[in-house]
Amino acid sequence: MVQTHELVKHYPDSKGTIVKAVDGVSLVAQPGEIVGLLGANGAGKTTLLRMLSTVIQPTSGSASIHGYDVVKNPEDVRRSIGFMSSSTALYGRLTAKEVLEYFAGLYGLANAERKRRVDEVIDLMRINEFADRLCDKLSTGQKQRVSIARCILHDPPVLFFDEPTSGLDVIMGQEVMRFIEGTREQGKTVIYCTHIMSEVERLCSKVYVLHGGTIRGVGSVDEIKTLADEPTLERAFLRLAEVA
Amino acid sequence: MRPAQIIFMKELREMFRDKRVRSGALVTPVFLVFSILLLFGFIIDTLARPENMKLSIIGSGPLVEQLKAAKVTVDVIPSVAEAEAKIRAGKARLVLEMPTEGAAPGKQVVVRAYFDDKDEKAQIQIAQTRAIFSKLSNELLLQTLETEGLPKEAAEPIKFEEKPIKVGSEQSASDFVIKLLPYIIVIYAFYGGMGSVGDLVAGEKEKKTLETLLITPVSRTDIAVGKFLALGTLCLASSLSAVVGLLLAGVIKLKIFEKLFPEGLGVSAMSLVLVVLVLLPAVVLFASLMLAISTRSKNLREAQTQLTLASLIVLMPAMFSQFIGLTDFANAMWVNTVPVLNTANAIRNVLLGKPELVPIAVGVVVNGVLGVIALAWAIRLFKQEAVLSST
Repeated sequence: MVQTHELVKHYPDSKGTIVKAVDGVSLVAQPGEIVGLLGANGAGKTTLLRMLSTVIQPTSGSASIHGYDVVKNPEDVRRSIGFMSSSTALYGRLTAKEVLEYFAGLYGLANAERKRRVDEVIDLMRINEFADRLCDKLSTGQKQRVSIARCILHDPPVLFFDEPTSGLDVIMGQEVMRFIEGTREQGKTVIYCTHIMSEVERLCSKVYVLHGGTIRGVGSVDEIKTLADEPTLERAFLRLAEVA
Repeated sequence: MRPAQIIFMKELREMFRDKRVRSGALVTPVFLVFSILLLFGFIIDTLARPENMKLSIIGSGPLVEQLKAAKVTVDVIPSVAEAEAKIRAGKARLVLEMPTEGAAPGKQVVVRAYFDDKDEKAQIQIAQTRAIFSKLSNELLLQTLETEGLPKEAAEPIKFEEKPIKVGSEQSASDFVIKLLPYIIVIYAFYGGMGSVGDLVAGEKEKKTLETLLITPVSRTDIAVGKFLALGTLCLASSLSAVVGLLLAGVIKLKIFEKLFPEGLGVSAMSLVLVVLVLLPAVVLFASLMLAISTRSKNLREAQTQLTLASLIVLMPAMFSQFIGLTDFANAMWVNTVPVLNTANAIRNVLLGKPELVPIAVGVVVNGVLGVIALAWAIRLFKQEAVLSST
């Protein structure tokens, strides 16, 4: 489960002006639920995910992941999450398998378990044919498969996906979507950040519309449309984000 | 395996897979030192042999035969005007105007030398020519003294006897090694890591791999320490590669090295062990400092700019260490408190065969303390949120 209460992140920019990147966000995501965070660039999605993954600390408010407080138990939080973003890269001079073994080690998997889990995710994500190839030599789709494998290596109960289909072709994009749908069936709590409406409509049971660091709307896709009094999610989003 | 160890192993693996690192940090020092030694060996060997000398001569006479007997190649020029023209045109370095009469006891003949006084090679040729004639001159002087019934000691009313006293252990490195090696060792302890430290943190920010690392349950201290250990290992390996270049010259007994190391390298196993001990705190300091710079930098380009500036701070004291023997500072205690200079000077003293415990200990402690402070700084930077800033 992921829960935040009045979560705030303010920081000074290069000119000393305070930027309110996230300003009082409260959200809940239950196990077996894919919760969408819908927002344009600069809406605060990445900052919110960084706070939830304990990379940065909140200015105020609270958040807990799988029962662990992000400020008080950051290592337990990190042990409980898998994070996958289209912008994060792999180590180009390591093979796909070496990357997975490296992260398995960092997640504290013991030798025998490490080998078993690495082999398991390699099979699951169909990495076998390029497992021993350097990541620099992989295609975008292959890299994305390795990234997802890295993110689920330690079988975390909570998964964060930040625009996971960005830069992928339609076939690979569908594959990623199918994989994320599968995680719901496994009872994972999933936070899914995107600005692609069709993905939200397909995957998310609940959507938070984020704009300017604040929540502008929350509910199912239909509830969001009703809330904004618009026929499509895209128009509803634009209405709620006040950019239409 | 501890997380820091896992990170250390991964960073090392990545570093050694990088061709730039392999060639820049490991192969180049060996090649560079060996090439420098080859070059200097060649120069010294050439200078030491007058038969390689080619001189232009005006006139002829018995003294010209003397030169030919010393295997000097002689090229005859008709006049002083032509000699000047040739020197100005760079077609001759040294032209000797020879007397027609030969040298004989009790009289003086004059050999005039025309040359460009800014031409270093001409200066060397003058010294070599003087040496050839001075041998003959001395023989004639002794003949004159004998003819006059004077003792041969009259040729040298004040005799200057040099009595070198061995200071330190019996074995000390050759002069050339003492001048060159401390500088190269210290420089490569820094430059060896400079090529890859950018990738360690600033590069990870730029390539967006750092965030995935920070999201693992590993503490940032472990991450920083793992990266520091990998960088330190590379710095040490690079520095020792320079020593390998030297040892290679010692093992491959080329004739060209004989004049460079007339009594061998003179580097004992014990002195190498001491060199490594002296070097370790400097490596800690360099690796920590470079890691902090890379952590502070927003991207690879900024890291490289900052590292280039930092390298000057290393370069200047290291260069001074080459000439410290010409000053009164080599034994001054303050030298041991100046990072880089203290390491180079301690290595110099070790190679000289006179390692003194207190100055070495002061240098080791100073560098060690500064290294720990720099490492603490790097870890602190790692713990800040700004570590992720890449724009």
